[in-house]
Amino acid sequence: MKDPILKVEDVNLSLENFALSHINLDLYENEIHVIMGENGAGKSLLMQVISGVIAPDSGKIYINNTPMKSKAFSGLFKDVIFIRQDATMISQLSVAENLFFNNLPRKHKLLPMIDYDKLNYLCQCFIDELGLPVSTFDKVSTLGFAQRQIIEFCRAYISDAKIVILDEPSSALTQSERDLLYRIVRKIKERGAGIFYITHSIEDVTELGDRITVIKKGQLIGTRNVSECTQEDIIRMLSAQNLNQRYPRIPVKKGRETLAVKNLGFEDKLSNINFELHQGEILGITGLAGSGRTLLANCLFGAVPNVKGQMFLNGVPVKIDNPYKAISNGIALIPENRLTDSIFGYLDVNNNVAVSSLKRFANYFLINNSVMEQVVSDYVHKLNIPQQNLHSNILEYSGGNQQKVVFAKWIMSRAKIFILDEPTRGLDIASKVDIYNSINDLIKKKASIIFISSDIEEILGICDRVAVLADHTIVCDLPTSDITVEKVLALSIGKD
Amino acid sequence: MFAIERINIIKNYLQRDRHVSVAMLSNLLNVTEVTIRRDLEKLEREGFLTRTHGGAVIKDDADSDIGYPAETPLNLTELSLLQEIADTVFHLVADNDIIMLTDGRTNRYIAKKLTQKNNLTVLTNDLLIALEFSSSPGNHLILLGGDLEEFAIYGQLAINNMQNFSLNHLIVEVDGISKNFGVTVSSINKASLIQQACKTAKTVSIICPASQFGEKSFYRVGDISIANKVITDSTLDDTYKDYLFDLNIPLYTSVDIYEAE
Repeated sequence: MKDPILKVEDVNLSLENFALSHINLDLYENEIHVIMGENGAGKSLLMQVISGVIAPDSGKIYINNTPMKSKAFSGLFKDVIFIRQDATMISQLSVAENLFFNNLPRKHKLLPMIDYDKLNYLCQCFIDELGLPVSTFDKVSTLGFAQRQIIEFCRAYISDAKIVILDEPSSALTQSERDLLYRIVRKIKERGAGIFYITHSIEDVTELGDRITVIKKGQLIGTRNVSECTQEDIIRMLSAQNLNQRYPRIPVKKGRETLAVKNLGFEDKLSNINFELHQGEILGITGLAGSGRTLLANCLFGAVPNVKGQMFLNGVPVKIDNPYKAISNGIALIPENRLTDSIFGYLDVNNNVAVSSLKRFANYFLINNSVMEQVVSDYVHKLNIPQQNLHSNILEYSGGNQQKVVFAKWIMSRAKIFILDEPTRGLDIASKVDIYNSINDLIKKKASIIFISSDIEEILGICDRVAVLADHTIVCDLPTSDITVEKVLALSIGKD
Repeated sequence: MFAIERINIIKNYLQRDRHVSVAMLSNLLNVTEVTIRRDLEKLEREGFLTRTHGGAVIKDDADSDIGYPAETPLNLTELSLLQEIADTVFHLVADNDIIMLTDGRTNRYIAKKLTQKNNLTVLTNDLLIALEFSSSPGNHLILLGGDLEEFAIYGQLAINNMQNFSLNHLIVEVDGISKNFGVTVSSINKASLIQQACKTAKTVSIICPASQFGEKSFYRVGDISIANKVITDSTLDDTYKDYLFDLNIPLYTSVDIYEAE
């Protein structure tokens, strides 16, 4: 057997709250090597290390038996092309120009003017060969997202890179676009390249894959030949080891219905969403990246316009078309992206906590600061947030403490329905435990919670019910006691 | 409305309900929370009530401490931490459950809270816990027999006695939890009683105030893994949160922060 074109030897990398440890991986010519794992398992990070964008702390990467050294700012290793989820093209140029950007045909060796006739001819041949749904002269800015992605894949084919990395290429594509993607990927393989193909779809694996590697929490679970394993084997690898016993969970008798959602829909991204929520209940919502988890949270909070369907609060129909209405109806949202969407980076801790409850501290037209500070410091103390100085800027605090400040803010506002979007992602363990325990306090006192997470173990450990989002809708809504990690995974990747 | 009227209303409420919340009062009296908090401060200075998170409780000598005569009385912060723990355990015990409470100060507060349940069967070796339940006819109490030491019952007789029972939920109060020494208590009799009780229980909850983490007493009960749940108060140090999470043991820190109306 030939030597691998790429070899990763015992690579380690630790970031603030995440680590890749002891990664050993290889890639051969003419091979499609599928990488699978949950969101946040470290797939994209691993690919960034392999492509040379991030240098590992230790370990070696060999390409064609040459050890590679990644230097800061030097970009990708030679011979590697990395196609990311977000298409990176120059939108003011044509399809042809973008496709051949790195090897434009010149008129003359000494006079490097672009030979447009040749360029357009080459591009047309190429489009005909693959049957692409675009025309040579289209500007990229006029194309849809899927069409742009397809062109990105073609760039990987045209380039002579020996190592091609595709990061979740199929997740946003329809079936016919997928077929086209498969054709292109096979062509890339035929021209002798090795491909790392990141995906969540079992279908991709069985259609394309030669080998599959599963990664979980920064560690490789194993590598197998696709021809030797069944779909069940793959799902079992994905859901290895079950740790949902460690979550502090309090059984609370559920009270009356607080929220009902009927036929909620948004553009073509969400449709026919139905569920109810009761006092003292935690409803878990999970699904793959792009399944609409965050979008659903924003719809419920009135943060996106033109949401279809009806919402009932305590049995009364309400129309929540802006966040102000949501807040005054007792709905709180803790968004996924803390830095951009939930903290005020230029304010201190005191104001970040109090900002949603200012009305309570009004004394005629003024805010009574001394009372407010007293109350804030009580909340901050209860949540174990270090409180040397309530007037220090929030950005000086760690991620875990920032998130606890966001929690304190909404708890202080006395909301009744809490929508938590990935509340513990990227946090240190102690802050996670604090957040689980404050959630317990909320449900003890009859609040209702929607807990969105991509960590299925966490969902099963904390929630009373779990709803899985797939194909733009909720495909199951079951008590967590009746469901397993395997089943949730299978549902979210659209199997059975 | 004049301040004096408000204060009388607040006093009446406290005497009836024993506790009030700032939110409720501000709604009821139609004044801002700032005003209510000032009133409560005034009443606290007068010694009528104690302010808590988001409200106040009436100061009542009979309510303040359940202790042995020899024990040092708790201050208010310690007391509220014990009550947090008691409230968490209250939610972890279902009506009709069969439980055991071992002797200890926190467990007495837990017992006091659990008397509000229905149809519990409670086994205990603590005389004061037995006393709490004596005034709660809705629940069934069994007191272990054996040698009396101070206010609790230990010894071979008690251990033999315990073999007659099969427990659903064992609630053990211990004197120390540490990474190096595991779970420890202050007497050998207590350690062996707990070891025996663990054998007959389906779920073991270990109760330990946060201040006792990292401490060790002389007698070792066992490894921390004998616990199915660890319940403490909200002042616990972060290192133990990491430690227990990694060991796969759920940790309840009894945070009390949300002010429901």
